[in-house]
Amino acid sequence: MAWNPQGGGQGPWGGGGGSGPTGPQPPDIEEMLRRGQERFRTLMPGGMKTGRGIMLIVVALIGIWLASGFYRVDAAQQGVILLFGKHVKSSGPGLHWYFPTPIGTVFTPDVEKVQRTDIGFRGGSARSAKRNVSEESLMLTSDQNIVDLDFSVQWKVKNAGDFLFKIRGPEATVKRAAESAMREVIGQTSLQLALTTGRAEIETRMRILLQKILDSYKSGILVTEVKLQAADPPQAVIDAFNEVQRARQDGDRKVNEAKAYLNKIVPTARGQAAKMIQDATAYKERLVKDAEGEAQRFLSVYKSFKSNEAVARQRLYLETMEDILGGATKVIMDGKGSSGVVPYLPLPELKKRSAGGK
Amino acid sequence: MKLSLAIFGLIVMVIGAVASGALFTVTEKNQVIVLQFGNPQKVVVKPGLYFKMPFIQDLVYYDRRILDLDPPFEQLTLKDKKRINVDTYARYRIVDPLAFFTSARTEVGFLNNFGQILNGSVRNEMGKHPLVNLLSKKRDDIMELIQARASKAAKRFGVKVVDVRIGRTDLPEEISKNVYERMRSERIQEANELRAEGDEKKIEIMSNADRQKTVILAEANKTSQILRGEGEASKTSILGNAHNTGKEFFDFSRSLEAMRKGLNSEDTSLILSPDSEFFRFFTNPMGREKMRK
Repeated sequence: MAWNPQGGGQGPWGGGGGSGPTGPQPPDIEEMLRRGQERFRTLMPGGMKTGRGIMLIVVALIGIWLASGFYRVDAAQQGVILLFGKHVKSSGPGLHWYFPTPIGTVFTPDVEKVQRTDIGFRGGSARSAKRNVSEESLMLTSDQNIVDLDFSVQWKVKNAGDFLFKIRGPEATVKRAAESAMREVIGQTSLQLALTTGRAEIETRMRILLQKILDSYKSGILVTEVKLQAADPPQAVIDAFNEVQRARQDGDRKVNEAKAYLNKIVPTARGQAAKMIQDATAYKERLVKDAEGEAQRFLSVYKSFKSNEAVARQRLYLETMEDILGGATKVIMDGKGSSGVVPYLPLPELKKRSAGGK
Repeated sequence: MKLSLAIFGLIVMVIGAVASGALFTVTEKNQVIVLQFGNPQKVVVKPGLYFKMPFIQDLVYYDRRILDLDPPFEQLTLKDKKRINVDTYARYRIVDPLAFFTSARTEVGFLNNFGQILNGSVRNEMGKHPLVNLLSKKRDDIMELIQARASKAAKRFGVKVVDVRIGRTDLPEEISKNVYERMRSERIQEANELRAEGDEKKIEIMSNADRQKTVILAEANKTSQILRGEGEASKTSILGNAHNTGKEFFDFSRSLEAMRKGLNSEDTSLILSPDSEFFRFFTNPMGREKMRK
């Protein structure tokens, strides 16, 4: 409060605006004027035409003031024009003129440019390395686990008037609201989902919720995209999560080994089985063929035998005996001459002789 | 000449001074209370150019936009005795500048007062819920209840609470340590389970393979036995058929063959009688039959 105890009878509220002299002090002004006149006189050799000179200066000043009313609105901007603080109109891109201060005020916010608010990390562009801000990125999931989530919100100005005049610090509000909204969404999502397949859904729900919040503030902001940059388990337990990955791979490896075993052993067995059947078939075929051959042979021999039986029988008999006796050791004994006496036959000796004679 | 110029200048100055003291603008962003000797006279909310009595009336500007209120972190105990750090924020608007002027005077004064009230509402409301509720759809309801509480308290300040939201809710360090411990043990458990499942599948697949092998081989063995049997049966029947046509001849020739095979070796010793049929020409060139005759 500009409480002014000094200043005599001016009253306590001595010109809060700060512009213009608070208490008019005539002597000072007279002196100023006098000095000014002297300066004008020195500037203008005419001397006599002081009044016209002052007018000229006033006109020039007014001209300069009016000229300061030109403003430019870039392609991505929108001009928001206030007359005595009241929003009277907006203007598109181009060069425009409006009453300068203190009558008119012009704002030119970027309405097309998409702004990005990062939460949970800083940097991460080509120029600066990504740095995690864990107090922003750690949040509780619905199953009371903690997840480390980095995301960024892309937004632009939807309504320049609201953006400028309805909310203080819209950029900071985007960030605070996004932090809160993300915690609400993640608080209803399980850790497993947040880490794996739930990302698209989180992004969508998050965008809708954040838009709803920002609309309730009449912030004039349009959330164009919410992008999950990273969803990881917290640093403190990441080793355990990696262990799960390793275990999963181990499990897969074991299954693959077993499948390889299966793929090796079953075809081999099938091969062996085929071989066994082939062998058996071969055996069967052989027996049948042999038997057929033998039968045929028997029948042929029998046929010729039949046609000449007596002689053929005798011949076969003799041929066989010839073969048998040709190779054997023979002893011929006449039973008549040695009746009553058991003849001595040195059989082992005979054998030896026949072996030695060979 | 000199005097008239001085008077002109003076008039300009005075007009300027009066104008600047008498005219004021209210913009889209703010609202104004006009005070006369410290007493509120009127409230101006609509933007535009306004007039006041210079030197006598003074102005207090307040923001008309939605304003931010971010009290610092608050540690509180939930119903299930879990302690958490809660960061809430509020968005509010000064809807009754006069009430605001009399109760809080400045924004800083309001924040000092109301920040504590807000934290109290948060503490009260959240103390009724366990942590699970914060991590569910109930979170929305809790925030609404806090907002209702805060709104009631804010009325006195001429303030409308637009929104109260729970921002970060972090577990204090010792509790997060427990959570991490639990998460880790859950993961280790999962890892062990995955490995065991891998073993399970491996054993299952391998024993299945062994079974298939055994069955395939047994099946093949069965088939081959049948085939062999068929072969042997065919042999027997084929030969039997043939031999049946010449039974006597088969007997004769097979006996001869058996004799030849059975006796035809080097170490066969035969003791023969010259009376045998083979020797019928051995003693008598005419043959035994003729001799007998």
